[in-house]
Amino acid sequence: MKLDIQGHSGCDIAIVYEDNELHIHKSTHDAGYVPRLVNQANKQIAASNREYQNIRVPKVFAVEQTDSDAVIKMEYIYSKNYVEYFENAGFEQIKYLIGAIEYFIDLEINASTMQTVPSHILTDKMADVARKVANNAHLKDDREALELVNRSQAVMDGVGDMVMPVGTCHGDLTFSNILFNGNNYYLIDFLDSFIESPLLDIVKIRQDTAYLWSTLMYNKPFDKVRLSIVSEKIDKAIDEYFTSRYQWYRQYYMPLQLMNFLRILQYGHDEKVIAYIKRVIAGQLESYN
Amino acid sequence: MMTLIVPIAASHADIHKLPQPFRFDDEGTMFCVKAITGLPLSEIKDIYFVILREHEERFMLSEQLSMQFRKHGLTNAHVTILDQPTTSQAETVTQAIRLNDIKGIVFIKDADCYFTTDEILPQNGVAIYALENLPLVDPQHKSYVAVDDMFYVTNIIEKRVVSHFFSAGGYCFEDAQEFCRYYDRLRDYSPLYLSHIIYAMLLDKKIFRPIQIDDYQDWSIDALFKRN
Repeated sequence: MKLDIQGHSGCDIAIVYEDNELHIHKSTHDAGYVPRLVNQANKQIAASNREYQNIRVPKVFAVEQTDSDAVIKMEYIYSKNYVEYFENAGFEQIKYLIGAIEYFIDLEINASTMQTVPSHILTDKMADVARKVANNAHLKDDREALELVNRSQAVMDGVGDMVMPVGTCHGDLTFSNILFNGNNYYLIDFLDSFIESPLLDIVKIRQDTAYLWSTLMYNKPFDKVRLSIVSEKIDKAIDEYFTSRYQWYRQYYMPLQLMNFLRILQYGHDEKVIAYIKRVIAGQLESYN
Repeated sequence: MMTLIVPIAASHADIHKLPQPFRFDDEGTMFCVKAITGLPLSEIKDIYFVILREHEERFMLSEQLSMQFRKHGLTNAHVTILDQPTTSQAETVTQAIRLNDIKGIVFIKDADCYFTTDEILPQNGVAIYALENLPLVDPQHKSYVAVDDMFYVTNIIEKRVVSHFFSAGGYCFEDAQEFCRYYDRLRDYSPLYLSHIIYAMLLDKKIFRPIQIDDYQDWSIDALFKRN
C-alpha cells in the first residue's frame, strides 16, 4: 500500500506499508537535488545515532541513489503537528518541550568547536540575497523591500568575523519540522546550513516562537491566542536560557535572525507573506537605529 | 473575604432584546442574580454586577437589580456600569477591578449558569463539573479542564474535549492585581477568554485547584435555557 502526501521540501513523500509496518519514502527525481537529499539523509543518520533524551530522529533504513533519483526510506512516526500539539498541551508538556530544546541545542554546542566564521561568509550571503531580491519578479519593483535590503547590507557589513560553535546543527529547526508524539519530539527534514552552527538552530526555532512563522503556512482553523501564548512562553524561556550562557548568542543572534528572514524574503512570491516578512525585517532593523 | 464579580457587559447583536441574564425565572428572580445564589455568600465581602450603559438606559437595569438585591438580602451588592461594551470577559473584569479599586481575592461568576458549592478556598481555582453529570450538553461552547491525580489543574482549553471536566463558569484569582497584569499582557489578543488568562498563568507556574460544584445548570443555550 502506498499513500502520497504533500512534502515541504519539494521532494515526494510516500507512506508505504511494507514488512508489516508503515515507512516513509522521501524521494526526488531532480538530478540537481539528489546530492542534497543524500546529504540530508546522512545528516539524519548521524543524528539518529546520538542520544537526545526526548528529542528523537526517525531511523533511516536505506538510502537508494542513482544519477537522477534518490530515495530515503525511513521510520514512520505516529504524531501530531505542532499546532495540534500546542492546542492540547498542558503547562507541564510545554515545560518538557522547552527543556528538550535547550538540551538538544546544548548537545549540539558540545559536539561543535568554537571557530571563527570569516566576515565574508555573511557579506557574500548578503550580496547573494540582494541579487536574488533584485531578480525576483515579485520584489524587484518593491521599493520598500529594496530599501530594507540596502539597510540590511549595512548591518551585515558591520558584523565582522564571528566566533561561535560550528560543527553540528539540524539546519531547519522550525516547528513544522518537528513531529510531536507524546513527550517525544521527532526531528525531520534535516538541511544543509550556510553556517553549520547550533546558533542557526536557535535562529530557526525562534523564527517560530518569536515570529510565528509556521502559522502562516497552517491552513486549518486553530486557537491563535493559545498558540501565541505558548510561543511567547517558549521564546522567552529559550532567549533567557541562551542569553545567560553564551556571549556568541547575545552578539550574533540578531544579525543572523535578520539574515534568516532576508533569505526567506529572496524567494517570496505570496503578497501576504512578503508583507509579513517586510514587517519583521523592518522591526529587526529598528533595533539597529 | 473575597470579592465577587459578575461580568455582563458584552454587547449583543440585537440591542432591543433584553439579554438573557437579565430575564426572570418563574419565581421572579433575575437569572444573573440566581447565578450567584448557590455560592457561599457569607464569604463574600462585596458583589459587583458589571453591566453596560446601553443596557442600563434601555432596560433600567440598575433599579431592577437593586430590587433583586433587596429581595435576596444582598446588602453588599453593587452595580458597576461601563460606558462602552468590552471585547472580552477578562476586560470587563479588569475594568471592574480598576473602577472599584478591588484588591485581594476575586471570584468571577458567569451570569448564564448556576451551581452550588459549600466552600471557595482563597486560592486560584476553576469550578469544574463532569460532562457525564449533564443530561444535555453543547460541548463546543465550553472550555475543558484537565486535572491531575492530586487535583491540580494542568490544562484548560477552549472548545476541545480533552477531559471529562468542563469549566463550569466560576473562577477564583487570589490576587486581583495579578489578574489585571495578565490581562494587560494579553489584551491585544482576540478573542481572549478567561481560559487563556488561566493557561498563561499555568505556564508561569501559578497553581490552580479545581473547585468542586454540584447542581450545575446551563442557561447559555436556548434549548437548555427553556429547561431551567
